[in-house]
Amino acid sequence: MRYLLKRIGFYLLAAWVALTLNFFLPRLMPGDPATALFARFKGTLGPEALEALRETFGLTDAPLIIQYFTYLGHVLQGDLGISVAYYPSPVLDVISSGLVWTILLAGTAVIVSFIIGSLLGVAAAWWRFGRIDTIMPPLSALLGAFPYFWLAMVALYIFGFQLGWFPLGHAYGDGVTPGFNFAFIADVVRHAFLPVGTVVIATIGGWLLTMRNTMVSVLGMDYVNLARAKGLSPTRVALRYAARNALLPSVTGFGMSLGFVLGGSLLTEIVFSYPGQGYLLVQAVRSQDYALMQGIFLIITFAVLGANFLVDLVQLWLDPRIREATS
Amino acid sequence: MRARLGQAALPVMLAALLVALATVSLTGCGQEREPLPEGVLVVSQEQQASWIRNFNPLTTASSVRWPTLAGIYEPLYVFNSVKSEFVPWLAVGYEWREHNRVLRMTTRDGVRWSDGQPFSARDVVFTFELMREHAALDRRGAWDFLEDVRLINDNTVEFRFERVFVLGFGEIAAQLIVPEHVWADIEDPVAHPNENPVATGPFTEVRLFRNQVFELGKNPYYWQEGRPAFDAIRMPALPSNDRANLALVFDEIDWAGNFVPAIDRVFVDRAPESHAYWFPLTGSTIFLYTNTVREPFDDIRVRKALSLAIDRELMIDVAVFRYSRPADPTALSDGFASWRDSTAIAANDWVGFDLERANALLDEAGYARGEDGFRVDAEGERLTFEVLTVSGWSDWVRAAQVISRGYAEIGIDASVRTYDFGAWFQRVQEGDFDMTLGWSYEGPTPYTFYYWLMASETVEPVGEIAPGNWHRHGSARADSILTAFEGEADPDGQKHLAALLQRTFVAEAPAIPLYPNPSWAEFNIGRFEGFPTAENPYADPSPNKFDRGECLLVLTNLVPRSRAADEASAGE
Amino acid sequence: MSGRRHSAIAGLAAWADAVRHDKRAAAGAWIIGFFILLAVFGPLIVNDPNELVGMPLQPPSAEHLLGTTGQGQDVLAQLVVGTRSSLLIGFSVGLTVVFVGALIGVTAGYLGGRVDAVLSLLFNVFLVIPGLPLAIVIAAYLPAGPLTIGFVLVIAGWAWNARVLRAQTLAHRNRDFVSAAIVAGESNWRIVTAEILPNMTSLLVSQVIGGTVYAIGAQVGLEFLGLGDVSAVTWGTNLYWAQNDSALLTGAWWTFAPTGLCVALVGFGLTMLNSGFDEITNPRLRLQRAWRAYLIKRGERPGRSTPVVAAGEDHA
Repeated sequence: MRYLLKRIGFYLLAAWVALTLNFFLPRLMPGDPATALFARFKGTLGPEALEALRETFGLTDAPLIIQYFTYLGHVLQGDLGISVAYYPSPVLDVISSGLVWTILLAGTAVIVSFIIGSLLGVAAAWWRFGRIDTIMPPLSALLGAFPYFWLAMVALYIFGFQLGWFPLGHAYGDGVTPGFNFAFIADVVRHAFLPVGTVVIATIGGWLLTMRNTMVSVLGMDYVNLARAKGLSPTRVALRYAARNALLPSVTGFGMSLGFVLGGSLLTEIVFSYPGQGYLLVQAVRSQDYALMQGIFLIITFAVLGANFLVDLVQLWLDPRIREATS
Repeated sequence: MRARLGQAALPVMLAALLVALATVSLTGCGQEREPLPEGVLVVSQEQQASWIRNFNPLTTASSVRWPTLAGIYEPLYVFNSVKSEFVPWLAVGYEWREHNRVLRMTTRDGVRWSDGQPFSARDVVFTFELMREHAALDRRGAWDFLEDVRLINDNTVEFRFERVFVLGFGEIAAQLIVPEHVWADIEDPVAHPNENPVATGPFTEVRLFRNQVFELGKNPYYWQEGRPAFDAIRMPALPSNDRANLALVFDEIDWAGNFVPAIDRVFVDRAPESHAYWFPLTGSTIFLYTNTVREPFDDIRVRKALSLAIDRELMIDVAVFRYSRPADPTALSDGFASWRDSTAIAANDWVGFDLERANALLDEAGYARGEDGFRVDAEGERLTFEVLTVSGWSDWVRAAQVISRGYAEIGIDASVRTYDFGAWFQRVQEGDFDMTLGWSYEGPTPYTFYYWLMASETVEPVGEIAPGNWHRHGSARADSILTAFEGEADPDGQKHLAALLQRTFVAEAPAIPLYPNPSWAEFNIGRFEGFPTAENPYADPSPNKFDRGECLLVLTNLVPRSRAADEASAGE
Repeated sequence: MSGRRHSAIAGLAAWADAVRHDKRAAAGAWIIGFFILLAVFGPLIVNDPNELVGMPLQPPSAEHLLGTTGQGQDVLAQLVVGTRSSLLIGFSVGLTVVFVGALIGVTAGYLGGRVDAVLSLLFNVFLVIPGLPLAIVIAAYLPAGPLTIGFVLVIAGWAWNARVLRAQTLAHRNRDFVSAAIVAGESNWRIVTAEILPNMTSLLVSQVIGGTVYAIGAQVGLEFLGLGDVSAVTWGTNLYWAQNDSALLTGAWWTFAPTGLCVALVGFGLTMLNSGFDEITNPRLRLQRAWRAYLIKRGERPGRSTPVVAAGEDHA
């Protein structure tokens, strides 16, 4: 329990750092985003309306510290400000429509990549110097060196554009009604196949190598040899005895890699015009919609922190040492 | 042996899993690409990552969805830019009175709002009063010249002008009208997202609104009998031009207004029987603006030389895929073909490609070549300039490269500099540039076009934001013609004044015209018929031409192929 | 003094050894060597990459070996010139993240106590904040250009190095030679620079390589989004323009395929260099190699048997 509380404390702290960064970034950076913001509205809004807008965007002349607490208060109430590009929509409304897709895409990609990569890693270690072990690590290193979005472009070009096997974008067909039914789910799978696939291909190498290397160590340990000597089936030894323990470093890395994969999948989303946060973020940057841009950053960060916490829970379940140390 | 087998089995299992997933996803819908539904026109106009529901037709500060301005709300008159004429819409007639100081308009009878309430002249007065109260809603600046708007009777409105400004008719005519019985109760009309519009246009019912697609169904009370001839418009959210083009090529779009590179090969050749386009040259004219308050661009000989050094034919080839033609000396696009003056064209001595004359003009202006072949100014400084363009606008970037290449031939060192749109626009508006590419402003008559090229009152000091006339050229000769134009209601008189403006432009060379922009329009004629074409140019074909209601002409004229076939067989 | 030089040299020598003896490291070194030569001399050979050389989107031909871009420029020239700036930014950022990481990681590991707690918390927080979105947000406020790209990549990327180097420093701090130096009353600065850092030379080099892989990939991504200086010629902007000029739609694969391959080759080369080095220096993996070589020499198939090695501190 203490362990969990400690982790929760850590994530709260990380969230606070992200919030604080978010607050100070526009105020520390050269140039004045407020001016850029109002240049857009010049000539279209009267001075009173501009003043009202200034307040909505939190650009008052109040001392920085007061502004800071006002800002924190707003965020806690779920108020991330108003999007300039989508005026008068609140940032949260603009973001919320696409968040689920980003999480779906990045989440599926990470999990699939983790499972396949780790399985291959177990195989590579089990049949050390075998075919998988000699071919897969360098191959996956080569694939992992390609930028995600580039693989996405190539996949889209070949499988979407030339062969026409997969749709060219979006999360589901425009004619399909969202709902919990086979047609919709199949359609979502169909649309997610290429984006998820490219991220998986690009990230599989990391899991493979980590798993292989720890697995090699674990396989040399006495208890594994003992299990083997007892005549247990190789599959049982490999998966139940060795892999379960070799999984720990990978799970630790899992949390860390979430943010990384999410960043890459944002780019992939753009290539596939997947309706997540990726394109929205770029559009916000291009149209200098700072409120929206920062809102997206904040939400993505919170999502990653939340996912990391889930990983901690899994780790707690996997690693008896943590459980014992805290109980 | 067992180990070997296992080792082979794992990849096989993974591959099998992959194939299974792929099969599910490929066969899930029964076919590879679902066909578009009958009677639904799929349009691609805005480029957005996801849709935000906003159908406020008055606000300028927000991004409203395209149909708001193109098919939900309607103006008093639609301006047909191809025929250069006003088409009666919510108003059916007008009359100038009191020496062109008062305009009376008669509104159409029998029009209903989409909630069934009758439309009347009261709604027109209400709309204009709302704009007076909230300046942010006056997107055309009508209250810059209006003094008052009065209701004469249920179908007559009177607009009183502050000064004689006949051209104000165009701005009043284009105003979208909102229903009084709905908008009177709206607290903050500027920020109002108007999620469920009540309007007079052909498509008013939001049938579906999701972040990646929305659909608008027919207005049940539309005033044009039997129109629109199809059930709905669907707008998929496509985040970029590139993505929209892919959708277009794969028959996911019926009507689009995108730039498509090499369109014959990329789009038409894929399905010649259903893919079609028409790019009439009715867009704005693309100019090279030189900063005329800076040396040496204050010298007309230099400006002429700079114009003569541009190989516009090459530019058309390289920059715009031969979709356009070199600008003519009046710089007017084809939308103003009927206004063109032959005397002005005959007087031209600077819109063309003639390196020899360009060199001679520069020599004459006193910019001799230095030892390295580059020209120097009076202080011996080499003539070095930047040509600004917007990053990402690749046609402009290529055009700028052609320019830069031509200038090297006449001894001027001009490098291409790209900026992000915001940064570029800031510099251009503030006059912080040597040379830049830019667009022109169009109105119903050439007045607007030349006003923003030559009117003294549009010249802002360097450092101040100038909405147009970025090259900062003021012409006393143009000013008096423009003033006369503002008071001229007679079409022949207008034509004469437009000719004088063209001659002034040719004489003064305020900015360097490059080419008229096409109006982009691609269609799927396999699913719908009735799009404007070169053979049947009844309106501008582009969904981008929504500003003065022109899309309404197209939307009310389209017929789904299936229905057209039914009618044809029924008629037999 | 000589000790510092000695361990530093030993660290570098291990690298030379890896390149000489490991096939993978050698392949990596060849690839990277090729690209470095290309970056240094290539731009002198090819034409101006911004020049308009012909019609846009021409497929590869004898005249333009990799065809032309959507702007009518030579793709090969763009690729070659792009190599220089991309590698330059990549290596600079790789060096800088390790420098910053070392500064913070070593300080935390060496000083320990409250300083360690605070600094560790700091890099752990930065590790969980997603890097690319952070980089995008910061870059949006700064003028576009290589400096901005470098800066945001360092901000988003230093934490990992700090974490690894802190762990390594902790391991070294308890070694005899450091204890001896502390007893001898040497200053902290001297102990860190003369005793600890030189002993980590090979790890630092490996981190610089890893950092460079990260930097090149992330840089290409940011520039692909148009956050770089789009008028400069780099690999990322090449891809940005390819996308912008409808490479997919027009089937102009030559505008994006070569650049992506080069990015991947450089990343692959660096990774191979690193893993080959790991194979040579990591005692456990080294022992396994020897064991395997021995088995093969004796004409036996190397099976799954793995020599047992005493748990070392190889994975700190």
